[in-house]
Amino acid sequence: MAMASSKKNKTARKIGFYTGLIALLVVSLFPFFIMLMTSFKNSKEAVATDPTFFPKDWTFQHYLDIFNPDIFPFLAYFKNSLTVALTAALLSVLIGIFGAYALSKLNFIGKTTINASFYTVYMLSGILLVVPLFKIISGLGLYDTKTALIITMIVQTLPTSIFMLKSYFDTIPDDLEEAAMIDGLNRIQIIFYIIIPLALSGIISVFVYSFMVAWNDYLFASIFLSDSVNFTLPIGLNALFSTPDYIWGRMMAASLITALPVVAMYAISEHFIKGNVTEGGVKG
Amino acid sequence: MKNRGKSDMKLAMVLLFPSVFLVLLLVAYPMISNIKISFFDLPINPRLDATFVGLKNYTDILTDVEFIKSLGITVLYMILAVAGSTALGLAVAIFFNRPFKFRKAARSLIILSYVTPSISLVFAWKYMFNNGYGVINHLGVDVFHLFDKAPLWFDNPVSSFILVVLFAIWRYFPYAFISFLAILQTVDSSLYEAAEIDGASTWEKFKSVTIPAIMPVLITIITLRSIWLFYMFTDVYLLTNKVNIIGIYLYETAFAFNDLGKAASISVILFIILSIVIIASRKRVKFNGNG
Repeated sequence: MAMASSKKNKTARKIGFYTGLIALLVVSLFPFFIMLMTSFKNSKEAVATDPTFFPKDWTFQHYLDIFNPDIFPFLAYFKNSLTVALTAALLSVLIGIFGAYALSKLNFIGKTTINASFYTVYMLSGILLVVPLFKIISGLGLYDTKTALIITMIVQTLPTSIFMLKSYFDTIPDDLEEAAMIDGLNRIQIIFYIIIPLALSGIISVFVYSFMVAWNDYLFASIFLSDSVNFTLPIGLNALFSTPDYIWGRMMAASLITALPVVAMYAISEHFIKGNVTEGGVKG
Repeated sequence: MKNRGKSDMKLAMVLLFPSVFLVLLLVAYPMISNIKISFFDLPINPRLDATFVGLKNYTDILTDVEFIKSLGITVLYMILAVAGSTALGLAVAIFFNRPFKFRKAARSLIILSYVTPSISLVFAWKYMFNNGYGVINHLGVDVFHLFDKAPLWFDNPVSSFILVVLFAIWRYFPYAFISFLAILQTVDSSLYEAAEIDGASTWEKFKSVTIPAIMPVLITIITLRSIWLFYMFTDVYLLTNKVNIIGIYLYETAFAFNDLGKAASISVILFIILSIVIIASRKRVKFNGNG
């Protein structure tokens, strides 16, 4: 009798739990659902005053349209975003590996000072620097170039890269390096043959983090870029939004494709990384 | 590796050079440059000369009602969004802190709003909250009768403010959720069992076991999220032009009104506020597992 009721109780609790979970997921994912469904609706249905959840007539036209350069400059923006984010992330990781190695494994004077200043930079928001950065970038003749955006994105992500990498490097025992040195490897070889392979999962997560920051950036792109040939996705799409003839289905299709690279990267990196990008205090 | 002090110094300098150079050029120098610019009336056109105006930019700013108002809106936005996203993140983490089927998949889905680029999310929200054909007003007015009259989400300062706070809570709670879940999984379950034997209620267990265990993470999350939301620009700027938070006020002073000197003086004032927070938090905030 008692057993039966406790079993019933357990089932009831289980149902309650899963109901809660589903409710949570519905609220959390609702905007994504709307985005996806709208991308398959025709222009008329998307602006009906009696909105539908699922499209009455499914259309794939918006996906064809955004990949057609005559209709929509999406591909050009996508390419620009990819150039900026890939270059910035690669350089941020490379520079970060060198810096993190020094801070993790070497003894030198001024280490604490450098640590403390990177900590301050980590908390410093880009918005505080927009005025002088605008002047400096113009002064260097880099206004309206992707290079301006790339170097700004490297600096924006560098302190986090260094601290994340440092915490991975800290877990690699010194004995390994000493053994490698006895085998005749120098420090630079040690970085490439020992440290990088051992900290690969950390390096990938730093790459993903840096890529995401650069891919997301709206602020600096809007300050540094003026010719639409150079536009990245955030400013390009936002500029299109301001025109009166935007089509919701098309914008939603573009939004989804814009989100795809970072979500895919995140999902892949999560698979083989224990402490993933959002664990620990990553800026965002 | 204690005996290699000398050779380490040289190598460390080489390895750190790119990082230090970039940070000096694009963070430290701009920060100092900010201070200099803040004493000038600087036109955006580089061919025009800057005129020294002393403290005028500062007196202008500090007596500007719009600046004070913007500061107030920002603080309110920050408090509400930090409290909301942290509390929700903690609640969801506690909810997830048990074994169940699809846990990993559910966790990944929850994180989606945090990893997706702002621009995509903003478009979805603009569409959902549209005055005429948005699904939120349709559900709220016609289906669930939550409001008598559809709020004009993007045209009214109060409803726009509610909108940006909701957006921030929804977008940033997964960050708190993941951090809390990670720390909760390290809490020894025997502590809960012991409390249960002592006859502790759920609330008492939360107060005496959960809260002390998550305290370091809680402090870190609140501090970092507060700083990031205080300097928020993109999310709010893309969503609505009715919520004039300080990041937008600064951006528009510089690039809409072309008053770089005044914008620089705002940056300096904000930097001073930030420095106080950093100094106060340095001892207590642990980030990335090292300080």
